[in-house]
Amino acid sequence: MANNQNIYKPIKAKLTDVIEESPLIKTFVLIPEEEFSFKTGQFIELSVDGIGEAPFTPSSSPHVTDKLEVTIMKTGYVTEYMHNLKPGGYMGIRGPYGRGYPVETFFGKEVLILGGGCGLAPIRSLLYALEHVKDKLKKVILCYGSKTPSDCIYKPLFARLNQIEKFEAYRTVDKADEEWDGSVGVATTLLNTIKVDIKNSVAVVCGPPIMMKFGTIRIIEMGYTDDQIYLSMEKNMSCGLGKCGHCMMGEFFVCKDGPVFTYKELKNTPDIWK
Amino acid sequence: MKTESNKVIIEDLKKIRFFEGYSDKQLTAIVEMSSVKEFKVKEILFEQYDELHDVDILLEGSLSLGISLAHEKRIHLGTIEEGQLFSWSAVFSPYISTAWVMAMKPAKVISINAKQLNKKIEEDCDFGFKTMSKIAQTISHRLSDTRFQLMNQMTI
Ligand SMILES: Cc1cc2nc3c(=O)[nH]c(=O)nc-3n(C[C@H](O)[C@H](O)[C@H](O)COP(=O)(O)OP(=O)(O)OC[C@H]3O[C@@H](n4cnc5c(N)ncnc54)[C@H](O)[C@@H]3O)c2cc1C
Ligand code: FES
Repeated sequence: MANNQNIYKPIKAKLTDVIEESPLIKTFVLIPEEEFSFKTGQFIELSVDGIGEAPFTPSSSPHVTDKLEVTIMKTGYVTEYMHNLKPGGYMGIRGPYGRGYPVETFFGKEVLILGGGCGLAPIRSLLYALEHVKDKLKKVILCYGSKTPSDCIYKPLFARLNQIEKFEAYRTVDKADEEWDGSVGVATTLLNTIKVDIKNSVAVVCGPPIMMKFGTIRIIEMGYTDDQIYLSMEKNMSCGLGKCGHCMMGEFFVCKDGPVFTYKELKNTPDIWK
Repeated sequence: MKTESNKVIIEDLKKIRFFEGYSDKQLTAIVEMSSVKEFKVKEILFEQYDELHDVDILLEGSLSLGISLAHEKRIHLGTIEEGQLFSWSAVFSPYISTAWVMAMKPAKVISINAKQLNKKIEEDCDFGFKTMSKIAQTISHRLSDTRFQLMNQMTI
């Protein structure tokens, strides 16, 4: 449920920093003027006065409540405008909306996370949330792929994660450049070599539709059951409240019933990867 | 150029996921047809279109796999990590490699003689089924990853 009273009225938030993550992706650091909290995996509607609004999943820790980070890829009208904003400006926040990751159900288990491209934004928030409860988890493995080394966002995150007890982070690129000496291949190739106790594990997949499709198929092949797999779905949205029907996917409103679903919930829905 | 050659021990094979489910007797048979080879950084293990005599599994290090197009530099398509099987073309006619492989880090490779492996596959049904299933799975993953990579490149 929204933190603010009028569900359509955004909270004002001051833009305090803009971090350039890759040529097309920036992270916006916002200080909401009213109390604001979210659960990892939930999304918000972020707006710019007179331009429009769009849904985004916060990329910051749900345990940090005085500041919010949103990582945005420039894809069209609203996001292009957002990319031109400078610190000191204001944005509007509605939400949070939807169902996030059921982190408590991951307790006692290994968590395998497969991510690609801008999908690392919601995953970063999840990683912060998992770090917060790491004593209750067996292991967290991140496998992340980007198209090129310069498309990889949050570069320092990988070294940091590999220093945290129980965390392992791997990354690969589809296409290397002269300086890249890491793994080459799509994100799923990283699954060939990791060691995971599949029976006592959950898998989280988040990224572009192509990656979600190939990634989920490979994870099923590894032996995960449909209810062990969590998918973070992106569908065109408008109200974010289960009222307009823009985000319908089969019987589900992605904005209200998701955006996080188990594969078991979605597997019979037509065109889930579109 | 191969710089060193020595014997494979059964413990090496037990660490590799490919050999999960093999009996000690079957692993011993593999040991008898294998050797460990070492490669220096940037050393080419084999070129595209080379005739292959061994199926290889990377024990340590990291390898790059790619193709060369006429008059063009080498194109890196993927990385082979520890525990992964490559040079599977050695067990299928015409036994010609479809890609080149180069060491990115100092590499130790288990090389299994393909002729002897094929003989064992024909003679021992259980061994043959396991081995062919696992090679098929490796090729299936490579194909699926390549499709995924191709679709990604098409959307760059
Ligand atoms: C729950 C949810 C969470 C999201 N989280 C993030 C995030 O953390 N970071 C991020 O960069 N993006 C995220 N997105 C996608 C983001 O909402 C769209 O990129 C944005 O709405 C595009 O707006 P635009 O006006 O710039 O593009 P438009 O000019 O409207 O469209 C440009 C292109 O983007 C596509 N698009 C438009 N809206 C959406 C949408 N809602 N979902 C998917 N594709 C869309 C269009 O089909 C078109 O191809 C999320 C989407 C959803 C539904
Ligand atoms: S966005 Fe309006 S119903 Fe989901």
